[in-house]
Amino acid sequence: MTAQLFDVQNVTLRFGGVVSLNNVSLHQNPGEILAVIGPNGAGKTSLFNSLTGVYAPQEGTITFNGAKGPLSVIGKKPHRVNAAGVARTFQASRMFSAMTAFENVKIGAESHKGLGVIGAMVRGPSTRRHDRETDERAWSLLRFVGLEQQANTLSASLNYGARRRLEIARGLATNPSVLLLDEPAAGTNPAEKLELTTLIRRVRDEMGVSILLIEHDMKLVMSLAERLYVLNFGSVIAEGTPDEIRANPAVVEAYLGSTDTGTTQGAQ
Amino acid sequence: MKFLQSPTAKRWGSLIALYAVVTVMTGPPGNQSSPTLGFTSSFSETVSFFGLFPAPRGLFLAGVFGLIIGAVAIYQRTALQGMVKQARQTVAPRYQSVTQRKSLRGVFYALVLFVAIILPHVVTDPFWQSAMVSQIAIYVLLAIGLNVVVGFAGLLDLGFVAFYAIGAYTTAWITGALPAAAPFHHHLNAFWAIPIAIVLVMISGVVLGLPTLRLRGDYLAIVTLGFGEIVTIFLNNLYNITGGSTGSNQIPHFSIHLGPVKYVWGLDPVPYYYLTLGFVVLFLIVFSALEHSRVGRSWVAIREDEIAAESVGINPLKYKVIAFAIGAASAGFAGVITGGQSLFINPTTFTLAFSINILVLVIFGGMGSIIGVVVGSLIIQTISMYLIHTPPAGFQNSDLYIYLGALLIAMMIFRPAGIWPSKRRRREIVAVEAGTAPDQYNGQGSKNGEGA
Amino acid sequence: MGGFFSYFSSHFATLDHEFWPLLVGGLATGFIYSMVAIGYTMVYGVLRLINFAHSEVFMAGGFASFFLTKWLVGSGTPSAWQSVLYVVLGVLAGGLAGAAIAAAVERVAYRPLRRRNAPKLAYLISAIGASYFLFNLAAKEFGRINFAMSPPFANHALFTFANAPVQMLDVLTLVVGLLMLFGLDRLVSKSKLGRSIRAVAQDAETASLMGVNIDRTIAVTFLLGGFLGGAAGYLFGLKFGVVYTMGFTPALKAFTAAVLGGIGNLRGALIGGLLLGVVESMSVAFVNGAFTDVVSFAVLVLVLLVRPTGILGESLGRAA
Repeated sequence: MTAQLFDVQNVTLRFGGVVSLNNVSLHQNPGEILAVIGPNGAGKTSLFNSLTGVYAPQEGTITFNGAKGPLSVIGKKPHRVNAAGVARTFQASRMFSAMTAFENVKIGAESHKGLGVIGAMVRGPSTRRHDRETDERAWSLLRFVGLEQQANTLSASLNYGARRRLEIARGLATNPSVLLLDEPAAGTNPAEKLELTTLIRRVRDEMGVSILLIEHDMKLVMSLAERLYVLNFGSVIAEGTPDEIRANPAVVEAYLGSTDTGTTQGAQ
Repeated sequence: MKFLQSPTAKRWGSLIALYAVVTVMTGPPGNQSSPTLGFTSSFSETVSFFGLFPAPRGLFLAGVFGLIIGAVAIYQRTALQGMVKQARQTVAPRYQSVTQRKSLRGVFYALVLFVAIILPHVVTDPFWQSAMVSQIAIYVLLAIGLNVVVGFAGLLDLGFVAFYAIGAYTTAWITGALPAAAPFHHHLNAFWAIPIAIVLVMISGVVLGLPTLRLRGDYLAIVTLGFGEIVTIFLNNLYNITGGSTGSNQIPHFSIHLGPVKYVWGLDPVPYYYLTLGFVVLFLIVFSALEHSRVGRSWVAIREDEIAAESVGINPLKYKVIAFAIGAASAGFAGVITGGQSLFINPTTFTLAFSINILVLVIFGGMGSIIGVVVGSLIIQTISMYLIHTPPAGFQNSDLYIYLGALLIAMMIFRPAGIWPSKRRRREIVAVEAGTAPDQYNGQGSKNGEGA
Repeated sequence: MGGFFSYFSSHFATLDHEFWPLLVGGLATGFIYSMVAIGYTMVYGVLRLINFAHSEVFMAGGFASFFLTKWLVGSGTPSAWQSVLYVVLGVLAGGLAGAAIAAAVERVAYRPLRRRNAPKLAYLISAIGASYFLFNLAAKEFGRINFAMSPPFANHALFTFANAPVQMLDVLTLVVGLLMLFGLDRLVSKSKLGRSIRAVAQDAETASLMGVNIDRTIAVTFLLGGFLGGAAGYLFGLKFGVVYTMGFTPALKAFTAAVLGGIGNLRGALIGGLLLGVVESMSVAFVNGAFTDVVSFAVLVLVLLVRPTGILGESLGRAA
């Protein structure tokens, strides 16, 4: 039995008096496209932040089984969690805005390996080889997401959809086992949404990277996700396939509306 | 009353205030028996323009101000400004294409190096020869080092002088010039101070940095300032170790005895100039390589968005400590050279004012821009030395600090990226001002994620 | 090992014997730190900026009141009522000079940066520049010696508390300090001006949308902090004289006090100042004079590492 990618057991996260995550348990299987949905304020981004080491829940355990072995996430710093194989994007794309698209991706590619400071100062043959390798990787990832034309544009000048794709490329550059996407379709138009859906599937199919995504756009989530968790007020209220979730009365109640046509909150 | 609020009144008010401040700033000093003398005589003292037109200083300066304002007004209100803009636009693309070409850059650097090498033979005035080493070359070295901390990593280190002091005092210590006995009671050659000082300085840099580099930017500044002050206190008070306020005994000069190579540096500043120049060139090469390496890019990432940097696997603390240690090491280097060159050292050199002076050089030149920092340091230090060597009437050496303070404010208001900025730094500042990039300075640490 | 214990036991003996005098002295110094800390804490509250130039505000207050006192008292001995008047005038002079310098610094060094939405690093550098400028200008204009301020009253011991003589000057510092801090606290928690300050400290953008004049509020914040800082300069000058360097160390300690109490928190500034003053005073029993500065610095580093929000926690937004 292959280990679960993410094994979250009874996680509770509190900020002062506010309970952000309440006894949340979930798991992700390797190779899955998993989605977490729920109304605004349900705790989805807090969950992401807990999975990446930004927040440290007070109770529970989070175990990540990436290609590099198991890691207990709680208490680890974000860069350490990334080194273990967890990449993420942010709700409001966080670019290195004064860097070009290419440089953004290259930073991701070179952050883990490579010689240290002495190598950087001396620039011997191994440093230069490493540089070439990360350059190539950055180019290939830019091609993969369709941004090779804009490689030398400053990331601050990119349009919304391009920035999303750049974040994905940058995350992939860190060689992860799973990519966490925080509302990747927010603010995109239908054409961009379609491109994004295709891209996300390709990430899983061609690169073998599992996907865990938060989304409000129901149509997108239902067409993309193989399994979903529904959060409300910090607790898991449902879990299952898209069809199961659609039929789940608790979920319908939480959203106060049909999930079919999609209360596309956050879109446009 | 309404008039006082109007824009014209405000503008005139600012101009008058500026005039008053500049007049007092550049005027004669006060003294203990009449402390207000400085203020009054700045306006009333009689000055003459090359022996002609004697007039009270206040009036004279008012006239100068009036001329400048008039010139600016004419420039702005006539076709002059338009013509200058046009000229700049036609020249700019050609200028850029020239400066971008790598081969031309190489020629330019070779030329500068050539000038630097023959300089001591062209300028033979003893004041200038000595100044070239201890006030210009050393300061360039220090500025390049501080640029790594402030410019590359974006950390404000106000205790930089502490590492400089450690370098100098280490040299004194191992050559037996301090009351504290040299290690193993064996007086070493001053050159050995380099590796020993580097080690000491980096240890203290890491020890200081590890706990404090997690702090917000402004807190880090204060803590490093405090650290610098503590070191000064120790230097001044631990008489049995550091010689207290009287300082060290005579420090032997550098010397090399390696087989056939025998050379002793002496009192002549010129050999020290070449030694320092050698180190400057070395540092320039190494730090330039650093800037364009993975480490340099990580610094940029941390500066621009620390949270995003963490999410792609960059450990901010590690890279900040690296920058800190490198900056400390270069200060230590400079300290060793100073220790070897000065016959005696004492704590009066190693003050907060020194740290601020180096900071001014970095800010003026352009933080993060190696070439800017070098050019900026050369400009400020040369002008300072010139003013000290041939002071205009009423000028005291310490007046320099007043000008440097005003310069810092002016730079922040008018040209925060420096006079020869690094393009990337300028872009970052513009982005923050436009609101398109987060202001990373007060370090949103990893505990401040985004909301649920 | 025995030497270690005997070192501490002898120092504790000194502490025990000198406890009350050290405590009283520490409280008096502590009030001065509190008054200066207010300036740091308020400016930090509204601008998230450490106003480096506040040390020069303190110094300006000292010098202004020095000049005034010199002119008033001359070499005569004032009568009791005259003494009171001179003290009030001294406090006023110090406070007004401090307020003026603080407002000038805000206008020249910070407001242009606010207009441009400059990154925080720019404010910090500008602050350093302003401080350096004023510091060295004072050195040039006033010379580098310490001017003793002849207090406009005879500074004898007013009464004795336990075995500690409490001097007139200490009482004056306590009284002035308490009055000003109390007055400021009332102002900030009860008045409309105070509410605008707290609003700007919490959320400047929203405050301006609600009709608060940000420029004016910030200017007033500097004025208030500057007034207290300048008045503290007068009190300090009465005890130690005035010199162009007088601002540096006390201001650094006052900043420590502000952080200790909780930066942005007015009552925290009071508590932090008193606590730091007493701790510093007591440490005289253990370390040589110059090293008490090291003690204060150690307190700062400890607070920042262990509890950076301070004893009472950061906030100017709430009334407490």
